[in-house]
Parts: sequence; structure tokens; C-alpha cells
Amino acid sequence: MTGLERFNTLRVRIALGGLALVAGMVPIAFIGISALSTIGTTVATELDQLQRVTAVSNGVTVAVSDEIRAAEQYLSARTPEVQQQFRTAAASVYTFQQALQSLGALTEEERIAVTRLENLQAQAEVWYAYAHALADLGRRDDAHAAAITAREPAEQLLARVLSVAEGQSRQAEATTDRLVDAARTRRSVVLWVLATSVVIATLVGIALFRSVDRPVQDLVGAARRFGAGDFRPMTLRGTMPGELRELTDAMDSVGARLRTIIVAVTNESQQMADTASDLSAVSEELAATSGEITTAMVDISRSAEKQVSGLEHSRQRMEHLATLARKNADVTQRVVTLGQQIRRLADDRRREMETAGASIADVRTVVERSARQVEELERLTAAIDDFIDLIKRISSQTNLLALNAAIEAARAGERGLGFAVVAEEVRHLADSSAKAAEDVADTVRTIRHQMSEVAQTMASGRGKVAVLGPMAEGVQRALGDIASAVAEVEQTTANVSREARAHLEATDEIGTVLRTVSDAASSHASSAEQVTAAAEEQGASTEEMAAQANALTQAAERLRALVKDLRV
Amino acid sequence: MRLAAELAVREINAAGGVRGRPLALVLLDDSASTQRAIQVARQFYDMPDVYAVVGHLTSGTTIAAAPVYNGGATPLLEISPSASSPTATHGAPYTFRVCPTDLLHGARLAAWARRQLAAERAAVLYLNDEYGRGVRQVFTSSFTSLGGRVITDDPYLPDLPSFRPYLERLQRAGGAQVMMVAGTRAGAEAIMSAMRAAGVTAQVMGGDGLTGLETDGTLISSAYLPDRPGERNAAFVAAYRRAYDSRLPDHRGAGAYDIIHLLARGLDAVGPHRGRLRDWVAGVGTEIPAFEGVTGTIAFDENGDVPNKDVVVGVVRGGQLVTATP
Repeated sequence: MTGLERFNTLRVRIALGGLALVAGMVPIAFIGISALSTIGTTVATELDQLQRVTAVSNGVTVAVSDEIRAAEQYLSARTPEVQQQFRTAAASVYTFQQALQSLGALTEEERIAVTRLENLQAQAEVWYAYAHALADLGRRDDAHAAAITAREPAEQLLARVLSVAEGQSRQAEATTDRLVDAARTRRSVVLWVLATSVVIATLVGIALFRSVDRPVQDLVGAARRFGAGDFRPMTLRGTMPGELRELTDAMDSVGARLRTIIVAVTNESQQMADTASDLSAVSEELAATSGEITTAMVDISRSAEKQVSGLEHSRQRMEHLATLARKNADVTQRVVTLGQQIRRLADDRRREMETAGASIADVRTVVERSARQVEELERLTAAIDDFIDLIKRISSQTNLLALNAAIEAARAGERGLGFAVVAEEVRHLADSSAKAAEDVADTVRTIRHQMSEVAQTMASGRGKVAVLGPMAEGVQRALGDIASAVAEVEQTTANVSREARAHLEATDEIGTVLRTVSDAASSHASSAEQVTAAAEEQGASTEEMAAQANALTQAAERLRALVKDLRV
Repeated sequence: MRLAAELAVREINAAGGVRGRPLALVLLDDSASTQRAIQVARQFYDMPDVYAVVGHLTSGTTIAAAPVYNGGATPLLEISPSASSPTATHGAPYTFRVCPTDLLHGARLAAWARRQLAAERAAVLYLNDEYGRGVRQVFTSSFTSLGGRVITDDPYLPDLPSFRPYLERLQRAGGAQVMMVAGTRAGAEAIMSAMRAAGVTAQVMGGDGLTGLETDGTLISSAYLPDRPGERNAAFVAAYRRAYDSRLPDHRGAGAYDIIHLLARGLDAVGPHRGRLRDWVAGVGTEIPAFEGVTGTIAFDENGDVPNKDVVVGVVRGGQLVTATP
């Protein structure tokens, strides 16, 4: 869009038209208003001025007339009231004269005329006052003469006041004429201005209408074509204002989009029809399936209900079983108690037998140890025998030696005497030793004898003990058998008890499980019912879907029919 | 008034003029006539080098000329030394005065008659013009309200053949202690000779219109008397006597003398311009400090009047008006 085109818009055209109108009308209106207000102001000012001047000139005329009348009257009828009237009227003449003087509109000649009025008034007043004084003094002729003198300025005053009034009346006429002239001039100005404004407004209006109407008509034609279903691109004449150009572009792009859309709609409606028939088939299948599901679920539901009642029966029986098991457990418990008592007694006896068995064993040990000690003693006596032999051999040797020593000592003579004694002693000693060894040998023999007797006794004791041992062992074994039998019973009863307990627990557990199962079955049944309902609903939905698929098919058909006639 | 004004101009120019330029005085005579005053005012108005008018002398001429000075595109300042009519300055922004109004003169004289002279009966003779009517109106109302009685109250004009009928009627009505003459010196002199002829004895008194009267014992109210205390006034009176053959200045001359000095100061401050000069004068006593003149302190109010100036009652003694002592 170039810089100039930016301003080629409807808004600008209308604004320019409006501006032209305003530019034309504002001065026109201004001229008209100022003409009217000028005339209004003129009229108001002139009338106000006229009013004031008239009021004052009327006032002065009346006051002068009153003054002269009262002054003349006093000459014939001298009353204080008339005198007062004269003075009041005279005073008001001055007041009106001052008012006349202060009127802005007076010319200097008029001002001078007014001051002349004042002088005449002063003269008339003084001469009348003088005449009144003379009249008061009774000098009638002098008073009359003074009055005649007073009349001259009085008459002049009256004449001038009247001429002022006439002047005012002429001024009023002149004012009226001026106003009429002014009104006439203003009227012609206003008429001229109005005519000009009408012409300008008409020209601007036509130009504006043309500049807006033609592009709008073009656009209207294009829009009608669109309306008739012809979405082929538009062809427009000349340059368009900005907004209409935008509108044209927008309509073109709308046409292009609509063309695209129509093609797409045609294709899509075909696809939609296909999809709808597929959907219809699927939904029929689905309807059938959901029917089956419903049937199956009804069966399931029924079975579940049966299951529930069966489970309930089982549960009742299990509870009976549990009662029995509880009794069983009690009995078993009593058996266990008895077994424990038996075992305790058997254990006591066995311990006693064990003690007895131990004593017997101790006896046997003692006997055996004694036998072993006897054997050991025999072996020791044999060793003593060996030792005695040794000692015998040593003493004989020693004896021999002592003998040799005594021989040698005898040969050594005297010096060997001491030695011969020792040798003798040693020989004695060897003899004593041999003798002691002999004694010991005797003792050992005695002991050996006694020992063989002890050995025989012991052998017989050992035989007796040997009989007693197996007997104790037999008792002990029997008691052990009892104990183990009791333990076994105990074990068994414990097992039984445990199992009974376990059985009981299991029974309870089974009961619980059964209840759970029963509940589950119940919920299963209700679920199955729900599933059935859902399946039924699904069936209904599926039917609905089928119906919608059908409607879709029809819509697709209609859509296809709609776009079939459009030209793209 | 002319002599005092000329004296002031000479003084100013001798001191270097205004902004280095000499001050010029243009003299025109209105002959105390309102008709002539309007024509004179037009002449002054049309002179572009005239920046202010010292005048007019009487209330009537001042009032008659005011519309001329206050109208048009370049209004002209008008300061009267002696226009004492109460409304003389009203509604006219370019019209000022430096004297008190007739209200004050009439009131002071009525009070003097009632309080100092203990007069109960008064006769009034008034010049039938703006001034005379104004003074008479204030005097009669003040005297009456102070408890006195106005026996006769008659107008006159200079061409009145005789005052005798008025005076005889007064005699017949029982006479009066005070003869109030609301008019000018000439009228007062005629009245006094008529009084002597008619054998009317009353204390003659009047407003500043009677200034110049030389009959001893006459009471005259004035905004200014030459024996007014103060250095400034003493210097002015001395200069006036030197310049004018030992004559004494009156209230009109002193007022004109003050106005000339005031205008010179204003022209020096704002330059030669009618509008600016008028605005400067209007500010004297408010935005600009009050002016100390030989007649007293000049400070203008919103009407262009000097409400703080007072009136003194003087008495003619040896042909000169001096401050009367109670």
C-alpha cells in the first residue's frame, strides 16, 4: 500500500466530505450567527438607549410642566402645598437633567442643549421664586411683572423640552429605520450565506455519494454472486477505497477458503459416508457381542447366586465341624495331661532304679578293682621275690668280700687290725642282710597265701554282682520303655492336640474363607448383574451408535448434495 | 488658580523640568459656563500633547466637561482643585479632585452655626446652580437635623433685580440669626448690602464660593487657608507673595499648585501617556504613597475623591481669611 493509497479510504473520503461541509458551513454559520447576534445586540442596545432617553425626556417634560403649573398656581392661590409642589417639581427637573446629561449617547451639541435647559430652568425657577416672594409681600403688580419675566425662560424651557422629546421621537424613528436597515442587510447576508451553503452541501454530498456508492455497488454485486453459490474469484473495476479494498481482499480470501472447504467437504463427506457404513457394521457386530455378553453374564450371575447358597451351606457345616474339633481338642488335652502324669511317675521310678543300678555298678567296680589290686599285689610279690634274691646275692657277695678283707687284714698284721674289724662287721652285716632277706621271703609267702584266699572270695563276689547288674538293667530298661511309651503317647497326643488346634484354626479359617468367598460370590453376583446391566446399556449405546452412523451416512449424503451445486 | 499654577510650573522647570523636558501650561477659559466648559474640554481632548487638565474650577463646569474627558479612545485626566459637588467625580474614572465635597462644607457650617453661634434660626440664599444647590441642600438638612430651623430658603441668579423681597419676607417671618449664602463672592456682597439696606442683622456665612470676600466677620468654610500650619505651606505662601505683589493664595490656587506638582511627579514616573498617568494618579494613596501637598495629604479613593481631607471654617479679619477660633 503506497502512502497515497493509505489515505484512499472510505473514512478519509467521508471525513474529507464532512470537513468540506464543516469548512463550508462553519464560516457560513459563523456569519449567520454573528449577523443575527449583531442585529440582536444592536436591537437591544438601541432599544435600551431609546428606552432610557425616552423615560428621561418624558420625565423632564412632565416635571417642567408641573413646575410651571404650580408656580403659576401659587400666584393666585398661595398655599404651602402649591409652594411645595413647585419646589419638588423644580428639584426633579434638575434630577432629570442630570440623568439626561449622563446618557452616553448624547452628542456634544445635545449636551450643550441640555446645559442650556438647565440654565433656563434655573432662571425660570428663580424668577418664579422672586415673584412668589413679592406675592407673599402683597405686591401683586410686582409679582405679576416678575411672573411675566419668569414666563419667558419657562416657555423657552418648555419648548426646548418638547423639542428634546420630539428629537427623541425622531431619534426613535431613526433608530427604527437603522434597525430595519440592519435587519434587511443581515437578512440578505444570511440568505446569501444559506444559498451558498446549500450549493456547497449539495456538491459535497454528490461527490461524497459517488465516491462511496460505486465501489459499494461493485462489492454488493460480488457479494450477491457469492450468495448465489458462485465462489469463483471476483473482478472489480477501478480503485477502491481502503476499507472496501480490504473488504474485497477479505471476500476474495473468503472465496478461496470456501473453495478449498467445498472440495475438502466433498472428499470428506465421501470418507464420512464410508466411515459411517463401517461404523454401522461394527456397531451391529458390537450389538450382537454385547447381547452375548449379556446372556453370558446372566448365566454367570445365576451361577454365582447358586455358588453363594452352596457356600453358605458349606459354611454352616464347617461351623459344626469346628464345634466337634473343639470337643476333640479338649479330650486330647485331657489325654495329654494323663500321659504327662504317667511319664512323671515312670521317670521317678526309673531315676530310683538308675540310682540302684549305679550302686550295683559301684560294687562291681570296687570288686573288680580289688581283684585287679590283688593281681597287682601278686605281681608285686613276685617283684619282691626278685628283690630278695638280689639282696641275697648281694649279701653273699659282701660276705665273701668281707672274708677276703679279713684275710688281707690278717696279712697286713697290725696295721690291718682296724681293717680286720671292719671286714668283720661287713661280714656280719652281710649275714644280717641275708637273714632279713630270708624273713621277707617268708612274709611274702604268707601274704601270697592270704592273697590267693582273697582272690578266691573276690571271684565269688564278682559272680554274684555280675548277676545283680543285668537284673537292674532289665528294670531300668522296662521303666525306660514305659517312659518312652508315655513320651510317645504324649508326643502323639500333643500332635493330636496341635493338629486339633490346627484343625480348629483351619476350620475357622475355612469358615472365614468361606464367608469371604461367599461375600465375594455375592459381590461377584451383583457385579455380574452390573456387568449385565452395563452390557445391556452397551447394547443400547451400540444401537444408538448404529442409528448415529446411519444419520451420519445420511448427513454425508446431504453434504454431498449441498456442495454438488457449488461452482468452484 | 492660574497664578498658583504658573508658579508651580516655573518651580518645576527651574528644577530641570520633567524627564529633562520643560513643563508647558496651556490656558483656556471656560468663563464658569457649562456650555463653554464642554467646548474647552473638547479642545484640550484634541490636543495630543496635553496629558492632564487642571480644572475645572466649579462643580458645574467639571461635571459638564467630564463626559468629554472620559469618553473616546484616549481619555484625558481631569483633576479639579475646587469642584465640590458631591457627585462631580462619580462614574468618571478620569475625573479627580483634591478638595472635600460640599457635603463637608455644608455640614461644617451648619455645625458651626448651631454649636459655636448657638443659632436656632437660619435663612438660606443660594445661587441656583449645581454648587449652590448642593451646599444649600447639605446645610439645610444638617442644620435641621442638629435642631435648628431654616426660616427661608430662596434661590437667586446674578441677574436677580433685588434681594429685598426675600429679605423683607424673612423679616416678616421673624428674622434669623444666621444668613447662609450658598453662592459666590459677588452674590454674597450684593446680599450683604441688601441686608444692610433692609436692616437685616444676621451672621453671614458661606462655603468656599465666597472666597475673596473682604467684609470682616464673615464666616467662610475652606479646604485651605493660607495660615494653614506647615513648612511646605509657609514656603508656598511666601513664594506666592513674592511673585504676586504680596497677595495671598486661596484654596483654588493652593489646590492647583498641588495638582501641578502631583502631575509632574506622575509624568516623571510613567512618562507622557494619558492612560498611564491616570492609572498612576489613581494609585496615589494606595499603591503609591500619598502626596504631601500644601493643602494637606492627597490620597484618592475609588471615586477620585480625597475623603481624608477636612474643611476648616475661616473668618475674614482685616480683609484676609484666617482660621476662625471657636
